[in-house]
Amino acid sequence: MRGSLKMEKEPMKVLVTGAAGQIGYAIAPMIARGIMLGPDQPVILHLLDIALAAEALHGVKMELLDAAFPLLKEVHATTDVTEACKDVNVAIMLGGFPRKEGMERKDMMSKNVPIYKEQASALEEHAASDCKVLVVANPANTNALILKEFAPSIPEKNITCLTRLDHNRALSQIAERLKVYVADVKNVIIWGNHSSTQYPDINHATVTTPNGERPVKELDTDDHWLKNEFINTVQQRGVAIIKARKASSALSAASAACDHMRDWVLGTPKGTWVSMGVYSDGSYGIPKDIIYSFPVKCEKGKWSIVKGLKIDEFSRAKMDATAKDLIDEKEVAHSCLN
Amino acid sequence: MGKEPVRVLVTGAAGQIGYALVPMIARGVMLGPDQPVILHMLDIPPAAEALNGVKMELVDAAFPLLKGVVATTDVVEGCTGVNIAIMVGGFPRKEGMERKDVMSKNVSIYKSQASALEQHAAANCKVLVVANPANTNALILKEFAPSIPEKNITCLTRLDHNRALGQISERLNVQVSDVKNAIIWGNHSSTQYPDVNHATVKTPSGEKPVRELVADDAWLHGEFIATVQQRGAAIIKARKLSSALSAASSACDHIRDWVLGTPEGTWVSMGVYSDGSYNVPAGLIYSFPVTCRNGEWTIVQGLSIDELSRKKLDLTAEELTEEKALAYSCLS
Repeated sequence: MRGSLKMEKEPMKVLVTGAAGQIGYAIAPMIARGIMLGPDQPVILHLLDIALAAEALHGVKMELLDAAFPLLKEVHATTDVTEACKDVNVAIMLGGFPRKEGMERKDMMSKNVPIYKEQASALEEHAASDCKVLVVANPANTNALILKEFAPSIPEKNITCLTRLDHNRALSQIAERLKVYVADVKNVIIWGNHSSTQYPDINHATVTTPNGERPVKELDTDDHWLKNEFINTVQQRGVAIIKARKASSALSAASAACDHMRDWVLGTPKGTWVSMGVYSDGSYGIPKDIIYSFPVKCEKGKWSIVKGLKIDEFSRAKMDATAKDLIDEKEVAHSCLN
Repeated sequence: MGKEPVRVLVTGAAGQIGYALVPMIARGVMLGPDQPVILHMLDIPPAAEALNGVKMELVDAAFPLLKGVVATTDVVEGCTGVNIAIMVGGFPRKEGMERKDVMSKNVSIYKSQASALEQHAAANCKVLVVANPANTNALILKEFAPSIPEKNITCLTRLDHNRALGQISERLNVQVSDVKNAIIWGNHSSTQYPDVNHATVKTPSGEKPVRELVADDAWLHGEFIATVQQRGAAIIKARKLSSALSAASSACDHIRDWVLGTPEGTWVSMGVYSDGSYNVPAGLIYSFPVTCRNGEWTIVQGLSIDELSRKKLDLTAEELTEEKALAYSCLS
């Protein structure tokens, strides 16, 4: 391995699957600049994609070299899943079968289940112990669940899916509404599935004001907006981006993935929680054995669900609806395995 | 108590480089992790919807440093109050287009942007031209914005500089962060001269000249130069798209080092208004080795230039002089 004279931390190995795609192109320079793991954490990137994308993947590797990133110690670009998974400490799973027009949910599921089953085995056998996994590719929660089920020796706490994008979207919708800086809004929650059944919940969200932290509900008394338009906007935001850009939200997804992993590894700020899709332990009356988005705090490389938050009737119904959605997805996924 | 936000304009912001660049700026890669920014994104009306999509995504990413986003097709609104301007927008070369056609399209664009910047940007606005032909676009901008200090108008050759460092690091199997002081002379085009005569590598026994460690002048004068010169084409061949990621990253490096200063003992390459140093004709935007301090760049003087280098420095200067003449002919 190439050495450097500076007294530096040992590099961390980060796998990105589907790395030749749009989100991969956005996330690779973010990781290489230390946005995911900190400005003093050297990284080694493992980029994986399918054979069809090999040349494009190589182009990404070339560009990463061309950018002369000080923190980026090595780049391995490969179509071989074993090579890609070898000793990785962090795995960002962007690769999956995208939904095409006219595809039924079952078709989508039947394409992705085999992918995540295979990747599960490879990660289990070759990744570093305690590898932290973030599934981004949709259907994110269920892909993560399949991965968990076929990689039983990966601690279940280490397999998560991305709802931080929805969380960040919720924060910024509140910030725009209240005309405050997004950095002053915190503690929204995304419950459930990263799909249109997600429940963006601001009941416990606060805004930092000159008079201290105030509940969002107090500053915006328009309950109707909060229960309707706000929720719809956040749920449908992905579609709105596609309509405007004619391409999906790579920039913000990549950024949110960095936030998810950074907070997980380096810890959430005091008094702040974030949303992560994690393996349900039955908290808040949510069924176990699904990957469900909860409010979590992170410390010393571990997340823990924020307990004891009051759940009103409106929220209860929404949380249950998205849980049901995930149970249905799980059944469809399992039926694809037979 | 944070710093006052800095306003950063990105033109052509709805394109590929813009999409890579704006999250970098919003994360503090360009101006530092404690410097709040307000982004001004400008593009042409056909791109208005896509541009709004980028604005939406910047909002959705909840960047703590990003204090505002202006997405506009109005050049005055785009330029108002900006402290930094990254000019990514330009007319791309299409198949079958003659050099004169590309030049004449871009000359008009940069003439008009020059006026807008001069009238509406903040005083001491720092300008980086990325869109090709970068050097000549920057020259046109300079000539039609006479009240912008000429030192404030630059073009990007940091991408080529970084590419040169990367090639040396691969050849020597060292970390790219241990290689420094390459030079890109001249035009950001295929006549650029990537020069490692003064480049060094940090080794366990101190800094050693690259030429000594490579010990293969034929490679350094041949394949190395060609690889760096042609790298853009190689990326397009592999990706079927041009090098947005590395261009955006290099643009951040260029501005960051300009604003925050180059590290001690290190220089970088920037396309700057020539003062005649190294017998390069004055009055061109030419890439030189520079150090930066207190927000100003200074050409590194006194480097020895061998015969081979002299020829290459002159060749790329000649090309720039021709481009300048061509650009002027478009204005008549």
